[in-house]
Amino acid sequence: MKRNEFIAVTLMILVTIGTIAAVFSYESYRRRSAEYFFVELIARSPNNGNWYPKELKVPYGKKIKLHIRNIETVSHGFALPDFDTEPSSSEIKAGEVVEVTFVADKRGSFPFMCTAWCSEEHMQMNGKLLVE
Amino acid sequence: MSKDKLFGLVDLDWRFELTKFRPVRALFKSRWFPLLPILFNLFIFVIILLAGFLGGYSAGNYNFGIMIVWILWWVMLMFVLVPVLSRAWCLMCPFPIFGEWAQRGALFGVNMGKLGGLNLKWPKALKNMWIMNVFFLVTTFFSGFFTVRPLATFILLGLIILIAFIMGLIFEKRSFCLYVCPVSGFQGLYSQFATTEIRSKDPQVCKEHKLKTCYLGNEKGYGCPWLLAPFSFRKNTYCGMCLECFKSCPYDNMAFNLRPPGADLLVDDKRGLDEAWKSFIMLGIAMVFFLSMQGPWGVLKDMVRASTLRGYLTFITFHTVLCLLVIPGIFFVFSYLSKVFSGNKEVSLKKLFINFSYTLIPIGLGAWIAFSFGIVLPNGSYILHILSDPFSWGWNLFGTKNVPWTPVFTHSLGYLQGITLLVFYLFSLAYGFRLSKQTFPGLQEAKRGWIPIFTFLTLTTLLFLWLYIG
Amino acid sequence: MKIKCQVFCWFIVCSLWFMAGSSFAQAEKFFEVKAKKFSYTPNIIEVNKGDLVRIRLISEDVHHGFFVDGYAVSTSAHPGQDGSLKFTADKPGRFCFRCSVTCGEFHPYMVGYLVVKPNSRFSMSAAAVILIGLGSLVIVFRKKENEQG
Repeated sequence: MKRNEFIAVTLMILVTIGTIAAVFSYESYRRRSAEYFFVELIARSPNNGNWYPKELKVPYGKKIKLHIRNIETVSHGFALPDFDTEPSSSEIKAGEVVEVTFVADKRGSFPFMCTAWCSEEHMQMNGKLLVE
Repeated sequence: MSKDKLFGLVDLDWRFELTKFRPVRALFKSRWFPLLPILFNLFIFVIILLAGFLGGYSAGNYNFGIMIVWILWWVMLMFVLVPVLSRAWCLMCPFPIFGEWAQRGALFGVNMGKLGGLNLKWPKALKNMWIMNVFFLVTTFFSGFFTVRPLATFILLGLIILIAFIMGLIFEKRSFCLYVCPVSGFQGLYSQFATTEIRSKDPQVCKEHKLKTCYLGNEKGYGCPWLLAPFSFRKNTYCGMCLECFKSCPYDNMAFNLRPPGADLLVDDKRGLDEAWKSFIMLGIAMVFFLSMQGPWGVLKDMVRASTLRGYLTFITFHTVLCLLVIPGIFFVFSYLSKVFSGNKEVSLKKLFINFSYTLIPIGLGAWIAFSFGIVLPNGSYILHILSDPFSWGWNLFGTKNVPWTPVFTHSLGYLQGITLLVFYLFSLAYGFRLSKQTFPGLQEAKRGWIPIFTFLTLTTLLFLWLYIG
Repeated sequence: MKIKCQVFCWFIVCSLWFMAGSSFAQAEKFFEVKAKKFSYTPNIIEVNKGDLVRIRLISEDVHHGFFVDGYAVSTSAHPGQDGSLKFTADKPGRFCFRCSVTCGEFHPYMVGYLVVKPNSRFSMSAAAVILIGLGSLVIVFRKKENEQG
């Protein structure tokens, strides 16, 4: 009986705290990469907060892995015309994350913008990429 | 033994004991069952809560919490769990586990001493479905939020789990499940239609067994957590299928039976206005949900999603008045007509009203199943997506992340809904006349008194048909 | 009594069958459907069976889609960039058309109806309900005392 009780309580801890711990460690494992510099970008319509951060800073010469998370209820898009991004332009559906990779092989400030008509203020939905 | 046959086919007293198979009985007597299904569901609900919290304000159709709860779980409840397995969800529901753990001081074993917590008795005046009725109705006021906003689902589920835990500490046993839980009420009501039941096998064995261990508990199992007397119960409504009585009965006198659907509708036990109103509320909600979720009217959607406060309040008012007053009112008129038609003076109008309200259970369940077809067929494909990417973090666990939105079988949606309504209408008719015979002493009175109720049921079915496919 | 009832049933079923099966002259119907969160204008499109249906989808706010149940055809429209659709309405009944592009939180509930007349699905089911109901009443009223079921 004592042994079964112990197993039951262990299972209980596993399915609650264990699950949460597993989820977060898997996510941090997924992001960790020697090859890439990792950046997260949040997509929102301009009247709802716009891109966050509006200015992205990345180091020169590195491979960049950009996770763009759309936390809204409409589709957004992402384009960074001065770089050879993979994929070149993408639609980010509501609630989704899109992974964009590119090589930061130019120094300076470059614009990025939304490519889907997301709201009346769609044209103001743009930001800056600073490569230093 | 009566020879009352449902549709002239199945004897209403026909039972087939599933627990006579040894592995099934061994499973039902094991203390790991239902603990393991509960822990599995706890695992799923931890992910649901996490996804709901992290998903925040974004659209729900790519959210694990929203999709599992409102597409998979709700539809499973309406399609399989309630109509076939009675309260099988309560068997594996993880919400009250923390409260129960605190009461018992053990997760697996049986604590023979006094249960922990304050163990207060639930007030007698509230020992009915009214709180659940109100709670469920109020929950549907927010349907425009928690079926689409992950955070709202998180708040709703979080509140239910929290209240279940707190009530577990204050009140005895499963008072929360019996008298408060919003999803408990309709499961209880519609499980009367279920094709399975838990009953005692031989009443003589129970009669001679003076120490009622199923009620008091022993070293093998707890006394009925749902505060029932398993040796004598006659309908499914308040049995949460926790299976403790299988464990605590020294004579193996409990059975899990297959039976003709709807047998409980004829059991005159604990019938009351609370259960009648539950039926009306379920019908009203089915209509309002259909209009707002599967109807083409943008004005209504704007009201439900509260784009203006005024519109939202209008929606709440109409919804409440429809469920609590209009539908019962119309049904009252038909009940009154039934009394007039029958010519009987002795049967009270209240008894007639209550008894006939049970005819609404099959057609109500049918309306909900038909409604659920319209939810799951167009949107079921999202489930493949969210299984692979539960937190919208770009995961692809099973390689199904990029499955596009694909409606399945929506070309037959109309047929499925029409046939479902028709089948459950038949059940309503079959039990309706039997209830009429039960209500009125004479056969001629029962025949005449049946006409208005028959008319009401037919009109209700036609109304739903017109809503869904007309 | 029983035979009379049966003949009556068959008569109704056959006439409904005939109604559903008979063909109408093909006409071309054009609709300009405006999509705005979370409804379409017009929200109910009525055509006759056999009609050639053409639809221009105009979005008034964000990217919206248009998927027709039962015909499995779809299009989508961005603001300023219309979508178009052409199909022959050869299946009778009421079908939903739904938004197929996530457009907001109520996106799954953004629907409209395409009614291809005659709506034989509905008339058949309704007739079945009424006939079965009346049939059951007849059975009930022919019951004698002491008879069960």
